[in-house]
Amino acid sequence: MSAAAPLLSVNGLTKHFPLKGGFFGRSTGTVRAVDGISFDVAEGETLGIVGESGCGKSTTARLLVDLIRPDGGEIMLSARRLGVDLPLRDLRRNVQMVFQDSYASLNPRLTMEEAIAFGPTVNGVSTAEATRLAHELLFKVGLEPKRFAGRYPHELSGGQRQRVNIARALAFKPKIVILDEAVSALDKSVEAQVLNLLGDLKRELGLTYIFISHDLNVVRYMSDRVMVMYLGEIAEIGPVDAIYERPSHPYTRALLAAMPSMDPDHLTREAPLAGDPPNPINPPSGCRFHTRCRHAATVCISTPPGLYTLPGERHLVNCHLAIPNSGHPGIEAVTA
Amino acid sequence: MSATAATFERLATVERSPGYWSGVIRRLRRDPVAMVALAIIIGLVLMALFSPWIAPADPYRSSMLRRLRPIGTPGFPLGTDELGRDMLSRLIYGARLSLLMGVTPVFIAFFVGSFLGITAGYVGGKVNTVVMRTVDVFFAFPSVLLAIALSGALGAGIFNGLLSLSIVFIPPIARIAESVTTAVRKIDYVEAARASGASSMTIIRVHVLGNVLGPIFVYATGLISVSLILASGLSFLGLGVKPPEPEWGLMLNTLRNAIYVQPWVAALPGLMIFITSISFNLLSDGLRSAMDIKA
Amino acid sequence: MLLYIAKRVLYTLPVALGVSIVCFMLVHIAPGDPLTSVLPPDASAQLQAEMRRLYGFDRPLPVQYGLWLLKTLQGDLGTSIATGRAVAVELWSAMGNTLMLAVLATAIGFVLGCLFGFVAGYFRDSWIDKLASFVSIIGVSVPHYWLGMVLVIIFSVQLNWLPATGAGPGGSADWVWDWAHIRHLILPAVTMSVIPMGIVARTVRALVADILSQEFIVGQRAKGLLDLGVLRHVIKNAAPTALAVMGLQLGYLLGGSILIETVFSWPGTGFLLGQAIFQRDLPLLQGTILVLAMFFVALNLIVDVVQTLLDPRVQRS
Repeated sequence: MSAAAPLLSVNGLTKHFPLKGGFFGRSTGTVRAVDGISFDVAEGETLGIVGESGCGKSTTARLLVDLIRPDGGEIMLSARRLGVDLPLRDLRRNVQMVFQDSYASLNPRLTMEEAIAFGPTVNGVSTAEATRLAHELLFKVGLEPKRFAGRYPHELSGGQRQRVNIARALAFKPKIVILDEAVSALDKSVEAQVLNLLGDLKRELGLTYIFISHDLNVVRYMSDRVMVMYLGEIAEIGPVDAIYERPSHPYTRALLAAMPSMDPDHLTREAPLAGDPPNPINPPSGCRFHTRCRHAATVCISTPPGLYTLPGERHLVNCHLAIPNSGHPGIEAVTA
Repeated sequence: MSATAATFERLATVERSPGYWSGVIRRLRRDPVAMVALAIIIGLVLMALFSPWIAPADPYRSSMLRRLRPIGTPGFPLGTDELGRDMLSRLIYGARLSLLMGVTPVFIAFFVGSFLGITAGYVGGKVNTVVMRTVDVFFAFPSVLLAIALSGALGAGIFNGLLSLSIVFIPPIARIAESVTTAVRKIDYVEAARASGASSMTIIRVHVLGNVLGPIFVYATGLISVSLILASGLSFLGLGVKPPEPEWGLMLNTLRNAIYVQPWVAALPGLMIFITSISFNLLSDGLRSAMDIKA
Repeated sequence: MLLYIAKRVLYTLPVALGVSIVCFMLVHIAPGDPLTSVLPPDASAQLQAEMRRLYGFDRPLPVQYGLWLLKTLQGDLGTSIATGRAVAVELWSAMGNTLMLAVLATAIGFVLGCLFGFVAGYFRDSWIDKLASFVSIIGVSVPHYWLGMVLVIIFSVQLNWLPATGAGPGGSADWVWDWAHIRHLILPAVTMSVIPMGIVARTVRALVADILSQEFIVGQRAKGLLDLGVLRHVIKNAAPTALAVMGLQLGYLLGGSILIETVFSWPGTGFLLGQAIFQRDLPLLQGTILVLAMFFVALNLIVDVVQTLLDPRVQRS
């Protein structure tokens, strides 16, 4: 896996939103929504992205399909760089997205076959061929074409609509599908069905997923690797077992500890994360998590740690505690 | 997992739901008030189209001998006007110019205003600022005042009247179009279409127009009644249509001094304006609820 | 809140400037030369050029606009071509008459509109609602100049109760608060009130119906809580919007009074406008429109600010 170039490679991706306000819409500050993140996604794997709302998960997704222009950084697909030898059109054909709101994702005036066929037709496929493809895809996502092709969005249930949205993304024959909270709005039983469908489709079509969710259980179930984001930065990224069994960042540990557990041996005993994340307009100095971290030391306030590769596995963590000789005196010294 | 080709080839067997517009028409047809209003409007349009065949007399032929006859005069069922012309014929012919002057400006403003508003809403940024601030300036005039200011400056005449009224109705339509488009633009299906690599023109054609033209159209139909009253009002003031053309507002004006002689004959042209205007208002209300658009 | 008000005031300035540009341009979109109406058709070229210089029509447009704006800000609206008197003087007396008429009409329309709207909203979907809604749709559909004529026919021509035209006995223009004068005010004011009545009724009906369908009100009514409390709640919540609508309607009536003033020969701004149009007196037309439009802009601002003060949730952009 590590020998070949990664399917998708992101380097230093940055997006700062200017804050409009005051008189005559002058800029009064910037929100550092995504602040210089780098990661790879290998072909055939599923990368889960977790974090609190406002941490930059969705912005990252939108940057990856160029729905918003990045302020910095590069995106590479199969070793081709966007804007250099990778035209935007190729990126969009290969990286498709499924949104959270299944209803808002579908034009209320289009039938399901028209919605799915739209993408192929704008990319040069004839209407008849695109319609045939739409029927094939409807079948593939478990909706009988005869019954569903001529329906409008309001006639379908949330789960059925999200299946259509998946079909629409697949109509481009993409390599990567970004699922931005794609199952979060669904009932638990429906969610499980859609997750199973996603698993089947991945195996059958050899897809690569970027799976964004705030639901840690679902991310664990779906992902091969997990990326934890905090205030526009990567807190920790690594194989799913490493993140869930041996979390190295205090933020990851706090998130996992807050997870509702069905296991009586691992009952949630404490609420380690107090308060809301700090304002991303003026992120804290040094390590961004230090304002809420139980182990914060002087070095955390002054110096950003940077991603450090833990020995042995592809497990990177953005914390002084994990970095040898970082100047952090150790957990025992500072824990309140 | 692979399905046979035959499953997908027989498109004709797909069950199709009735589309949005057929639903609107079905709901509208169940609305008796709207249907009566529509019937009246169709009647008025037919009257305008076929006036020469319907009207019993020449609307321009005057006679000093039979001026201001009352309603019910033999040969002149609705009496005669101040120049002895047949009122019934003039009212029938009047539908032509009155409808033209009332409906055309809204029609023109619908296209121009939608174009401006949708462009401003979709493109956003500086284009939006320039278009919408200009619209704000024209919006700062009460509509009657703006219509009179423009046609007062331009002078009387059918073309000047149409031009003034079109300018009056562009700003409100552009405003609605802009706000609806801005709202639609932010919805995920437009984002998804952008992610598909479709051009802006294609996205506007397939995803934006279908969702914004309906609300703009309903709003515009609500303006027709205002436009009719204003257009006839301009002629009533001596702007707009010039004598001796039969037009309801102008007829109301020239008959004003006749209210002491034949009051009910003098009031007839206004009744026509009223009937037309209320019919358009009721149809617009019916359309609004059939399309389920919040007021 | 203060910031919002300050912003709203600042936002009005460019709009007012734009309005002034439109008014300025009115004279220049007019066909032909604004001087042709004052000069004899056989005026010599020299006289024409002199007059053009006198009125400043020989300079470039932006310069003309700048000078015009400067003069306007000092209260000089130019001179009427037809009467030779200052436009500001002509406007002053007319404005009072129009204001009196419009304020009275708005008041009548507001009271009746609230009444109809409230009853319709309170007894929603009953026959009273249908009747009240029908009355309000008539209010917005009727050509009010025709309604004026019909009222004149009924009350002046047929019954001979009220005078048909003018603002005072014997065509006197000086207003006195006595029955002889007030008689003249009744018909135009009632005619004019029909439009705000229809619109206020529609607004109030929607507001009342909306408030009454809120869950806690339904709960209160179910508990048998005295209707008086519910009533107070409805008034408190509907008042800001209803008042805002009324304020805007006053502005529309001020600007749109021309048709009714023409019907009743009421010596107000609309009547003045009619004269200006008839005699192609462009300075008078321009000055009257400018003042009426600025009135409307200012009224809009006041309505917004008052509404925000009454109900801080509403901050119209």
